[in-house]
Amino acid sequence: MTATTAPAGARKYDLNFARWVYENVDGGERMAKCMQCGVCSGSCPIGTQMDHGPRKLFMMIRAGMKEAVLTSNTIWNCVSCYNCVVRCPRQVPVTYILHDLATLAVKEGYAEAKQADNARFAKAFWWSAAKYGKTDERLVTMKYYYSFGFGEFIKRGRANQKIALGMIKTKRMHLGMPHKVKKGGELKAILAKAAEIEAKKHG
Amino acid sequence: MSDRKTGVYLCGGCGIGEGLSLDQLESVAQENKAGLCRRHDALCTEEGVALIEADRANEGVTDLVIAACSPRVMTDRFRFDGTPMVRANLREMCIWSHPAGDEDTQMIADDQIRMGLAQVTRMKTPQPFTEGEWSQRILVLGGGFTGMRAALEAAAAGHEVLLIERSDQLGGFARNASKDLPHKPPYREPQPNEIGKLVEAVQADDLITVKTNCTVAKTAGMPGRFEIDLDQGGTASTETVGAIVIATGWRPYDATRLGHLGYGASPDVVTNVEMEKLLAAGGVTRPSDGKAPKAVAFVQCAGSRDPEHLPYCSSVCCSVSIKQALELIEADPETSCYIIFDELRTPGQAEEFYRAAQEKGVIFIKGKVKSVDGSLKVLVDDALLQEEVPMEGLDMVVLATGMVPNSTVADQPFENPEPAVIQVTDDIDPRSPLTFAGAEAAEKADPAARPMMAGAPLLNLQYRQGPHVPILADGFADSHYICFPYETRRTGIYTAGPVRRPMDSHEAAQDAAGAALKAIQCVRNAQSGEAVHPRSGDMSYPIVNYNQCTKCRRCTVECPFGAIDEDEKDYPIVNPSRCRRCGTCMGACPVRTISFENYHPEMISSMIKSVEIPDEFDEKPRILILACENDAYPALDMAGLNREQYSPYVRIIPVRCLGSVSLLWISDALSVGYDGVVLMGCKPGDDYQCHFVKGSAMAKERMSKVGETLKSMMLEEERVTQMEISIADSKAIAKMIDDFVETIDSLGPNPFKGF
Amino acid sequence: MTNQGPSSQTILVVGGGISGISAALEAAESGYDVVLLEKSATLGGRVAQLNRYFPKLCHPTCGLEINYQRIKKNRRVSVFTMCEVDKVAGGKGDFTVTVKRAPRYVNTRCTACGDCAAAAETEVANPFNHNLDKVKAAHLPHEMAFPMRYVIAPEVIGTPEADKIKAACKYDAVDLDDKEETFEIKVGAVIWATGWHPYDAGKLTSYQYAAIPDVITNVEMERLAAHDGPTGGKVLRPSNNEAPKRVALIQCAGSRDYNHLAYCSRICCLASMKHAAYVREQHAEAEVDVYYIDIRAHDKLEHFYRRLAADPQVNWIKSKPARIEAGEDGRPVVCGENTVTRDIYREPYDLVVLAVGMQPALNGRATALELPVDDYGFIVPEEAAVSAAGVATGPLDVSMSVQSATAAAMKAIQAVSGRARQ
Repeated sequence: MTATTAPAGARKYDLNFARWVYENVDGGERMAKCMQCGVCSGSCPIGTQMDHGPRKLFMMIRAGMKEAVLTSNTIWNCVSCYNCVVRCPRQVPVTYILHDLATLAVKEGYAEAKQADNARFAKAFWWSAAKYGKTDERLVTMKYYYSFGFGEFIKRGRANQKIALGMIKTKRMHLGMPHKVKKGGELKAILAKAAEIEAKKHG
Repeated sequence: MSDRKTGVYLCGGCGIGEGLSLDQLESVAQENKAGLCRRHDALCTEEGVALIEADRANEGVTDLVIAACSPRVMTDRFRFDGTPMVRANLREMCIWSHPAGDEDTQMIADDQIRMGLAQVTRMKTPQPFTEGEWSQRILVLGGGFTGMRAALEAAAAGHEVLLIERSDQLGGFARNASKDLPHKPPYREPQPNEIGKLVEAVQADDLITVKTNCTVAKTAGMPGRFEIDLDQGGTASTETVGAIVIATGWRPYDATRLGHLGYGASPDVVTNVEMEKLLAAGGVTRPSDGKAPKAVAFVQCAGSRDPEHLPYCSSVCCSVSIKQALELIEADPETSCYIIFDELRTPGQAEEFYRAAQEKGVIFIKGKVKSVDGSLKVLVDDALLQEEVPMEGLDMVVLATGMVPNSTVADQPFENPEPAVIQVTDDIDPRSPLTFAGAEAAEKADPAARPMMAGAPLLNLQYRQGPHVPILADGFADSHYICFPYETRRTGIYTAGPVRRPMDSHEAAQDAAGAALKAIQCVRNAQSGEAVHPRSGDMSYPIVNYNQCTKCRRCTVECPFGAIDEDEKDYPIVNPSRCRRCGTCMGACPVRTISFENYHPEMISSMIKSVEIPDEFDEKPRILILACENDAYPALDMAGLNREQYSPYVRIIPVRCLGSVSLLWISDALSVGYDGVVLMGCKPGDDYQCHFVKGSAMAKERMSKVGETLKSMMLEEERVTQMEISIADSKAIAKMIDDFVETIDSLGPNPFKGF
Repeated sequence: MTNQGPSSQTILVVGGGISGISAALEAAESGYDVVLLEKSATLGGRVAQLNRYFPKLCHPTCGLEINYQRIKKNRRVSVFTMCEVDKVAGGKGDFTVTVKRAPRYVNTRCTACGDCAAAAETEVANPFNHNLDKVKAAHLPHEMAFPMRYVIAPEVIGTPEADKIKAACKYDAVDLDDKEETFEIKVGAVIWATGWHPYDAGKLTSYQYAAIPDVITNVEMERLAAHDGPTGGKVLRPSNNEAPKRVALIQCAGSRDYNHLAYCSRICCLASMKHAAYVREQHAEAEVDVYYIDIRAHDKLEHFYRRLAADPQVNWIKSKPARIEAGEDGRPVVCGENTVTRDIYREPYDLVVLAVGMQPALNGRATALELPVDDYGFIVPEEAAVSAAGVATGPLDVSMSVQSATAAAMKAIQAVSGRARQ
């Protein structure tokens, strides 16, 4: 990213913000070709959990709705399944764009307060992935709940007891030792290399 | 007649020999004065055909009845040019659709031989109408892009062209336009406008004569010899041409009617045509203050796809707005361009043009523009943001107005005589509702509410049926047919370009070539006396027996192609090269004065009467089916091919078109004892499928009056009916026939039987 | 104005669909000899497989019948079926074309009596019905076949069944020794009218065409609705032959998509409207949902859209569905986002029709034949020494195809007889 500040739109369809995004967000220039077909939002496994979904978010970018875009949960809730990217008829790299917008939101100070919840979850998710090479639903959830403090941990845990039991029943969640990838050392090496590349990319 | 000798050839193949008594057929042939009768096990083989050829050469056979398969097959075998021939259909319509070895099946075959003989002895080989001088020259009306292309194409094929332009110079709309749309790969950039080169090419072509400031005062004659009165700046002249291409183009929809979209509220609200001129002038400046616009909104469908204005889509406006936006961005990459659309229409390879525009930063907004005010505030009902969005800070608003066809001379007032009114409304209503299962028939739109094209006729045709070239409901001078886009109700007059349908320059160029081809084809066929599509090559034409004509004018009114005029004494004058040989005039004539050499009222009457009618105690009714050759007859044929079985009581006679059916044939049939009559033909009315335009509709209208006649004869109305049959009814037709036979059964025998 | 003159005035038309037929007839009726080549056993091409045309809802066979009559009456047109162009040498006015003829195993003595079909036992997939049903190994391609001659499937050649078929023919029309052959023809002009084929729906993996029986294509829908199709004209669910109550029509199944066909196929919106009409004509209860990106009912075809839109049981959803899943009851479930309401939907249907696009049939062979094509494989005739017509040049509807065929005939005529220009 070259510019550090994204200009706010003074009015609807003021193109300052859109142009800035097109130029500075990874894959932004391809976003220009979005024809609003909806395949991305429809493909999203957690599409119902997004306030706008990628398609509408792209329209909001064109409309110059900077604040609404950068405070949207859409940019945080992406789980990087790449269904949208694979299916997009205009080959817009939706996932990269959302992730870059999330980074941008942090930089612009939109993420701190409003997206703290997402950040906590992301942290817990990353902890499990880095440690075991897998996401253990039980541990991720516990770690996430615990990040709010012990009281909240108990409260949230109880509230979601039924879901948890259901998941155990259908073997979606297991008790006992967490599953791990076989060669933990190699995982660590991969992660270290990724961090190195990332560091180089962002200077 | 004495020097004629009919050979009857009985084929025994494909089950005919096994299922029918050929001995019996031979004796029927002899009873009915066949000069000769032969059999062969497979007449369509080389040996079979050789047999026939030998008889023509050695036995003096002049007429042929080939009693074998359908006339639709084996046409390359049974082709004996100049010899009257009837193909008695013993296969598809007899042995394949009725049980073998059955008495009733044999009776069908016997009657087929009788009908065949009755028919062939009354046929003459048509002598084409070729007398007089024929012109090979093509008149092109309109010196714009399409007209010039048509002129160049016809000239390149070796024909002289007379190109008439109303204004003082060639070029038309494109002369004032900026760039062209991309039609070649990679389909991404606006292309140079090459109208100047086109004008030069036309001027340099020694086969093309250009007349500017010139209009057509009137047009008389027929293909091959149209007489055109021209008015060139007040100087009158007359020219003879063989065929006409109309390429009068389009005009923009009247933007002053688009006040709700801000036209007139600010000088900076312009139409796409005005924008085109600004772009062509180079360096767009906005009308109010001469500044270069930095933010421009394009409002799509301004007047188009709007029942209050133009109900159709003007096709090109989406691509044109994209092009204009790209031109603005090319001039200044900082320009913000917005295209506000309902449905974005960039069909085919033009999709890439849409993407190219997006890449260059053009913003596409799906929504409806609710208003545009004098300060250029555009209120958009934004479908995807799901909110009403006021767009502010715009420097210009471009209304993408649609195309209105120049199918009349709009600015020249014209007193619409009654036939002209019919010409511009007498066609399908594209708004007519579709009827679906379980739904009540929806109410039809009021035809009177349809907007009418005002203005003077383009050619001022001196035709009995009025001066206009027929115009379809939306005002375009188009063909109604999907498979035959150059079909025209005025033979020898072809339209091309946006006067026919909204289209871009690429399509117009093709259309010009197509129309020019049809024009040269028409003059060549007119000269040799042959019909053009759909009865291509037919040399017969209507001949009037003036001794019996009552001057009732039905033929001149009902001809779907305006081929018949009236002389000063009101007698019909046939213009053979205008004629398409459908026979609607023949069907219209109440006194059998119109005939073709190989198709005439007396011929069909004789065929009807040649059928043996069993008396009422035999309980074998006879029902006459007059079947349209193009759809009903093939459907019956294919029913046979599929071995569908139907009542053996029907006798089928193919007709050129239901329009050619004379009501007298019905009374002939009933008076000789047929129990019922069916007219089988194409769908009339909305979405009509008759390839002679209104043949089946005319039949329907005539049939509406048959009921009264039947009543006066003390006969039930149900005995005579018209069935709508499409060519795809091969599986349904047997039941339709059987149902009708059942109706006739329930009525009992025709009381005239045996009289 | 000097013209050395073409060495042949004959015009070759490659492809016997509506464009090729039209180009051939327009040239022949203007006074030129035409050779019309068709790869399959019968003329008619793709339109012969359509039930009806939009917007009139009339039958394509009606116009084909007129055209076949025109061919039958015109001695200038020579039709060769089972033939493909192998090679083209020479240039404008003087082409030598190598033609490859595939064996039909039935000669011109065939009367179409059907005895061979009665003798045949093996059934083969029926390409006329897009393999939705089977035909006897000896069969007539369809009831409107032109020329009206049977064909024997290569599958049975060399088997005892073939001998049985041969023995059944009374007219010595079965030729089991028929072999592929090549021959050369000299022509002055060539018109390419090679048409299109439907995009392979199997490539649209997220739409599960191969896995879910009630997901069909638009071209299959035409056969289902046709009176001579596999269901006798009834639009029924392939899984159980029941009448569908909820039908989804999915636009841009492959078209306007970089991953498949980057261009818009132009006709699919209108074809789907026609399909909505087929369903609604037959099934009073049926609801039809059309999923689309943009409704492209150009020019006067807008009226057809309005006529369908007036029906309260046809709904329009601006959305490109993301995927189709098999529901618990086996029904296809269409999933995606409604872009206007922002609803994420999961709608079960009885029948889903994929509006697959048009792909140039010449695809892949253009280079070998030295034809200039665009990135999509469509011929760019302006740059060619030959003419091209119809969908070989781009996605066109029937009317535009015939228009383009007429224009191509004009170019060919100019090439063989017109004066030289410049």
